[in-house]
Amino acid sequence: MKKIVLLPLVAMLSACTGANGILGSNTVVIEERSNEGKAVDAIVRDESSFNWSDLTKPFNKASNTTQASAKAQAVAELKASDTNFVLYFSYDGTDIGDKATQEIIKHANFMRDNPSVKLRLEGHADERGTREYNLALGENRALSVKEVLGLYEGLDGRIEVISFGEETPIAKAHDESGWEKNRRVEFIYQ
Amino acid sequence: MKLIKLFIVFIALSFGAAQAVLEVTVVKKDENAFPIIVSHFELTGKGAQDKDISKIIQANLERSGRFNVVIPDIIISQNVDAQHWKHQNIEAVVTGNIDQQSEKIYKLSVSLFDVYSNKQLFTKTTRVHVSGFRKVAHQLSDHIYEALLGESGSFNTLLTYVTVTTDAKGNKEYRLNISDSDAMNVKSRIKLKTPILSPVWSPDRSYEHKKIAYVSFENGRSEVFVWHPYTRRKIEKLPRFDGIASAPSWHPDGKSLVLTLSKDGNKDIYSYTLADKKLTQLTHNPSIDTEASYSPDGTQLAFTSNRSGQVQIYIKNLSTGKINRATFEGRYNAKAVFSPDGKSLAMVHRVDNDYRIAMLDIKTKDLSMMTNNELDESPYFSPNGDMIIFATNRNNKNLLSVVSVEGNRSYELSSQTGEVREPNWSTYLEK
Repeated sequence: MKKIVLLPLVAMLSACTGANGILGSNTVVIEERSNEGKAVDAIVRDESSFNWSDLTKPFNKASNTTQASAKAQAVAELKASDTNFVLYFSYDGTDIGDKATQEIIKHANFMRDNPSVKLRLEGHADERGTREYNLALGENRALSVKEVLGLYEGLDGRIEVISFGEETPIAKAHDESGWEKNRRVEFIYQ
Repeated sequence: MKLIKLFIVFIALSFGAAQAVLEVTVVKKDENAFPIIVSHFELTGKGAQDKDISKIIQANLERSGRFNVVIPDIIISQNVDAQHWKHQNIEAVVTGNIDQQSEKIYKLSVSLFDVYSNKQLFTKTTRVHVSGFRKVAHQLSDHIYEALLGESGSFNTLLTYVTVTTDAKGNKEYRLNISDSDAMNVKSRIKLKTPILSPVWSPDRSYEHKKIAYVSFENGRSEVFVWHPYTRRKIEKLPRFDGIASAPSWHPDGKSLVLTLSKDGNKDIYSYTLADKKLTQLTHNPSIDTEASYSPDGTQLAFTSNRSGQVQIYIKNLSTGKINRATFEGRYNAKAVFSPDGKSLAMVHRVDNDYRIAMLDIKTKDLSMMTNNELDESPYFSPNGDMIIFATNRNNKNLLSVVSVEGNRSYELSSQTGEVREPNWSTYLEK
């Protein structure tokens, strides 16, 4: 049994454990990131996600169609349950804030309850700065999310991380109204 | 008189794709641009009628911003009347003759005349295969440029760039294009629905060995590929690595490249040798290290890193292994490339909310702003070091811009049908 201590998120978790009961007998350790002490919390928003999966091959085709449709239904239920499938980040930021952590915890619960689902985390950046740096930044955002999910037993090996950098924006506006929507990590279940 | 043998055997390339021809617009020229006549060439023989390559030379010299090209209505003979042109403030005259010798072979004779000294500076006589006219035109442009300005031109070189078009349904098509330095003779064989990034020419001078390394998402994630556009038409994929594989850049010997891999979680820079597939890790840091670029002598490696908490350029000395920070001005400096003389770096530099191209003198640490735009990226030097090509954004559309390092000249390459980005300029081609 793992001992989990939640450093920056203690207050938030005490508020949400009652509702979700996700901590159980586990305790989560999240290390403080050394990001200049800035409050660069990922913000949570309701946005439809970029449907990259239309363009690329799924990384794991379900062999059993019944199982696949059961998974699809479970994912649909999760979506309907007011869970965010997209998390947003500050400029050049990779930190996961309290609200974003709450959302990640919902996904962790979902994955625990549905052991056959696999998750692809797709990291993205806004168009500012260089394309290659943004590709790296997008991966760091997805890895930040994976790091939180990975604290739960049995999830780590079921998560794939991919970055698309600034290449697939969901918002077209070339100002903060667009950029803030494009700095994101998308949750895509397989 | 020098006879250059030019039997260029191009391997027949049947590029099916419609060509994405760019529009060239000269924006700014040198105030003291060199006044030169480039006459239409005399054409003899039936097949010669559409071979007047003086047009290519005129456009090349004009685009460089260093010449005011005057094109007379009549063809000037090779006996130039110096006094006449002196009165017209013309300083040099280019004349030429193209004579068809057989079905595919032409004899070309081009002269450069200096008005003030009243002397012929050169006459180049060459046999040209019908497929080699453009190359000869670029070589002649380089000869004229060098004879009059005392510096090498960058005409006999190639560009590569990515074009992006969006159809009525919003579907994107990405193409990897190669063209001559004048953006003509476009070949775009690689067409994908997924993004293409960071194409870069290998330093090889022969067509046989020329390669382009690039990043493609065609398999759902960023991977590095190496395309041999002129020979086997082959595309090599590097071994599959977990995580990102991106930001390729060639070693000056053309045998290996550096790239960014995140196979161990961290984004670090590795060297990859094509022949033996040997991977060597060059940076070891938990921060983002990417966008590596070798110095022309291969002894140093510039790269982007956020190890200080800011995005800055660092230079690794490859013999001592020591890494020094190169940029101190501003909070964001990225994607540095060495100038051909190795003394400067061009990079993306953030000023307030704008991303501009800046040039750093490595020794003095002086940083000079090359542009005044909002969203510039992907700078690269012309092979003679005279100009920097980069992608910029206007009316929410990417186009390419080329500025002289002195800032006094510029031109643009834009597409009527879509966006143009990710430019890269080859080294000189074999003569």
